[in-house]
Amino acid sequence: MAAKPKLAVFKFASCDGCQLSLLDAEDELLAVADAVEIAYFLEARTRTLEGPYDVGLVEGSITTAHDAERIRRIRDQCQFLVTIGACATSGGIQSLRNWADVNEFISQVYAHPEYIKTLATSTPVADHVIVDFELRGCPINKHQLVELVAALLQGRKPRVPRYSVCIDCKRKHVVCVAVAQGVACLGPVTQAGCGVICPAYHRECFGCFGPKEQPNLASLLGHYANRGADAVQLVRLTRNFNGYAPEFREASDDLETAAALGNTPDAPS
Amino acid sequence: MAQTITINPVTRIEGHAKITLHLDDQGKVADAMFHITQFRGFEKFVEGRPLREMPSIMARICGICPVSHLVASAKACDELLAVEIPAVAAKLRRVMNLAQLVQSHALSFFHLSSPDLMLGMDADPKERNIFGLIAKHPEFARDGILLRKFGQQIIERLGGKRIHPAWVVPGGVNEPLAEQTRNEILSEIPGALAIARRTLEWFKSIAPKFEEEIESFANFPTMHLGLVGPRGELEHYDGAMRFCNEDGEKIVDLTEHRRYDEFIGEFVEPWTYLKFPFFKKRGYPDGVYRVGPLSRLIVADRCGTPLADHELTDFRLRLGRAPMSSFYSHWARLIECIYGCEKLVQLLEAPDILDEYVQSRASVNRLEGVGVSEAPRGTLLHHYRIDRNGQMRWLNLIIATGHNNLAMNRGIKQAAERFIRAEKIEEGALNRVEAVIRAFDPCLSCSTHAWGQMQLLMQLRGPQGELLHELRRD
Repeated sequence: MAAKPKLAVFKFASCDGCQLSLLDAEDELLAVADAVEIAYFLEARTRTLEGPYDVGLVEGSITTAHDAERIRRIRDQCQFLVTIGACATSGGIQSLRNWADVNEFISQVYAHPEYIKTLATSTPVADHVIVDFELRGCPINKHQLVELVAALLQGRKPRVPRYSVCIDCKRKHVVCVAVAQGVACLGPVTQAGCGVICPAYHRECFGCFGPKEQPNLASLLGHYANRGADAVQLVRLTRNFNGYAPEFREASDDLETAAALGNTPDAPS
Repeated sequence: MAQTITINPVTRIEGHAKITLHLDDQGKVADAMFHITQFRGFEKFVEGRPLREMPSIMARICGICPVSHLVASAKACDELLAVEIPAVAAKLRRVMNLAQLVQSHALSFFHLSSPDLMLGMDADPKERNIFGLIAKHPEFARDGILLRKFGQQIIERLGGKRIHPAWVVPGGVNEPLAEQTRNEILSEIPGALAIARRTLEWFKSIAPKFEEEIESFANFPTMHLGLVGPRGELEHYDGAMRFCNEDGEKIVDLTEHRRYDEFIGEFVEPWTYLKFPFFKKRGYPDGVYRVGPLSRLIVADRCGTPLADHELTDFRLRLGRAPMSSFYSHWARLIECIYGCEKLVQLLEAPDILDEYVQSRASVNRLEGVGVSEAPRGTLLHHYRIDRNGQMRWLNLIIATGHNNLAMNRGIKQAAERFIRAEKIEEGALNRVEAVIRAFDPCLSCSTHAWGQMQLLMQLRGPQGELLHELRRD
C-alpha cells in the first residue's frame, strides 16, 4: 500500500465509549497509529472537513437537524463509512424518546425549553445515509474493532459473527437463563459479540449487540408470553439499548398494539 | 463597541457545547458563558423501568466513567432496598471504583492534557495530540497507555468488559473475586505505581514553567466539596460529603446524603442546559464551589496511604493548604494515582476479599434513595424515587461537571480576559481557553478531546453582528 490509509472518527449523540474502545486497544494502538493516518484531526485547522477519507468511523445517533446535515457531508467525504456502536447503528438508548413526546422530556428537565433545539427522534446513521458496515455493541467489542481495521487495511470483508448470543453461551458452557431460570432473555435474537457477560452472571441478555441475522421475535416473545411474561415487561425488554433497531422496534410496537386490543401475543405453533 | 465571541467546542459535534465571550466597548472580556447544548433525556426515559435495570442503564450516560455511574446508581438502589451490603462487596466495589479512578486520570493526564505540557501550548495542533506524543516521546506515551490499561484491565477482569460493565448491582456485586484474578492484579500494581511516581516527579519539575497558566487557570478562591472517610482521609466510595471554605477549613460534614438538598441548591440560567449547583447558605452565585481531584485533596485531612501522604505533604508545603489554580488538578490526579495503587494493595490483601457471599437481596423497602460516590471528576449524586412496584418515577443527577459549572464559567472568563485580545484571535489563545476547560476535565471536554482536540469555533462579532474575525478548528 503506497500511502497510509486515512482514518477519521466522527461523533454524534453518544457517551464516547465506542471511540474510547480504540484507545482501549493498548497493545494494538501503537501499531494502528503506525499503519493508518488519523486524518480527521491532523488536518484539523481547516474550515471544512478536509477529505476524502479512506475510512470514516461514526459514533452516536442523529438527534439534531445540524447532525442530519453533517452526516451527509461526512458521507460524501468517506470512501468506506462504518457505524460503530448501538447509538450509530440503531439510535441508542436515547431513542427511547422516539416513543414519547420529546417536549415533555425537555420541559421536565429544563427550565427554559425554548433553548433546546433537538429533533423529536434519535435515529440511526443508516436512516440518513448509506452505511457500508455496522459494528454493533454497547459498547463495541475492541477485538471486533481491531479486526475491522485490519480487514480494511487488507482490503477484505471484516469477519464478525451474525449468529445469536445463544451460540456463544453454549460454547462457553453458560447455563441458559431462559430455560433454567425461566426469565425472558433476548439472547436468542441478539447478535453475538459481547462475550455473554450477562448470562454468565445469571442475568438475561438486554440485546446490547442488536438483532442477529433473521431474528424471529414474534415467536420468541410469544413463547415468553405463554410462560407468563406480561406485555409491559416484554415491551420494556425489547426497548433498550437497541430498541429502535427495526426488528426490535416492530416487535415492541406489535406487542403494544396487541395489548391495547386486549390480545395476548401469538404462541408459536 | 460591544462584541460577542463564540467558541463552539463540542464533542466533534457542533451542538453539544459552546462558549460565548462578550466584549465591552474597550474590547475587554465582559462576560463568558459556557453552554451545554446536548440533550439525551435520561431523566425522562427511565420512568417506569424497574430498579434493577438502573445501574446498567445509568452507566450508558458516560463511556469514560461508566463505573462511577454504576457505583452511585447501585448505592441509591441499596438505599431503596434498605440493605446493608456484604463487607466484601463494598471492598470489591471500591476496587473497581479505584481502577476507574486510575484509568480515567491516566486518560485525562496522558492522552488529553500532556500533549500541551510536553509539546507546549503553542505547538502545532497537528502534533499536539496523543499520536504526536507517540511519535515524539514514545516512552512517555507508553507509560500513559500502560497506566490506563492497568485500570481498564482490572475493570474488565471484574466486570467482563471495560466500558459499561454489568458487575455492580443493587445489594452488592454479581460475582466473588477469584483468587487468580486477585493475584494477577496484585502482580501488576508495582509497575503501575512506578509509572505514577515517575510521572509525578516529571510533572513537579516542569510545573513551574507554566506560570502564566497557573495564574490564569480558574485561579480564584471558591469553596470545595469532596467525600472524606471516618478519620478525615481521602475517600472515593462512601463517607461524609465535606464542604470546605476557601482556606480548606471544614464548614460541614454531611453524613446523611439524602439531606443533600438542605445544602445544595440548583440554579437554572436561561442560556444553558447544565444547572448551577451552589452552597445554599451562601446563596447564588456566592455559593460557588468546586469538586474533583484538587478539591478532594483540599478537603481531606490526609490520604491514608504512606506514599500518597508523603506526596500530599510535599504538595501542601509547596502550594499551601488550598491552592486555587485549577492547573494543579493535574498534580492532584497523579497523587491520586499513587493513592489508588496503594489502596488497591490494601483492599486486595484484606483477609475477606475472596469471600463468596457478595450480594444482599431484598425487595423494595423505601421509595426514595440517594447514592453518592466520587467519580474521577468529582462528587456524583444519584437521587431516585420509585413506586411500590420498584419502578422508577423520578430521578435527579448531580454530576461533577454540574458542581463545577459556576467555577468553570468564571475560569473561562478569567483565561479569556488574559489571553484574548480584541479584534484578532490567536490559535494559542483558543487553546488556552480550551485548556482551562480541560483542567476541570468535564466529562464533556474529556470526551471531546479524546482524539486530540475539541472542535472550536470562535467568532468575533461587531455590534450589528457583522463577522470581524473567525478562527475555527473542526
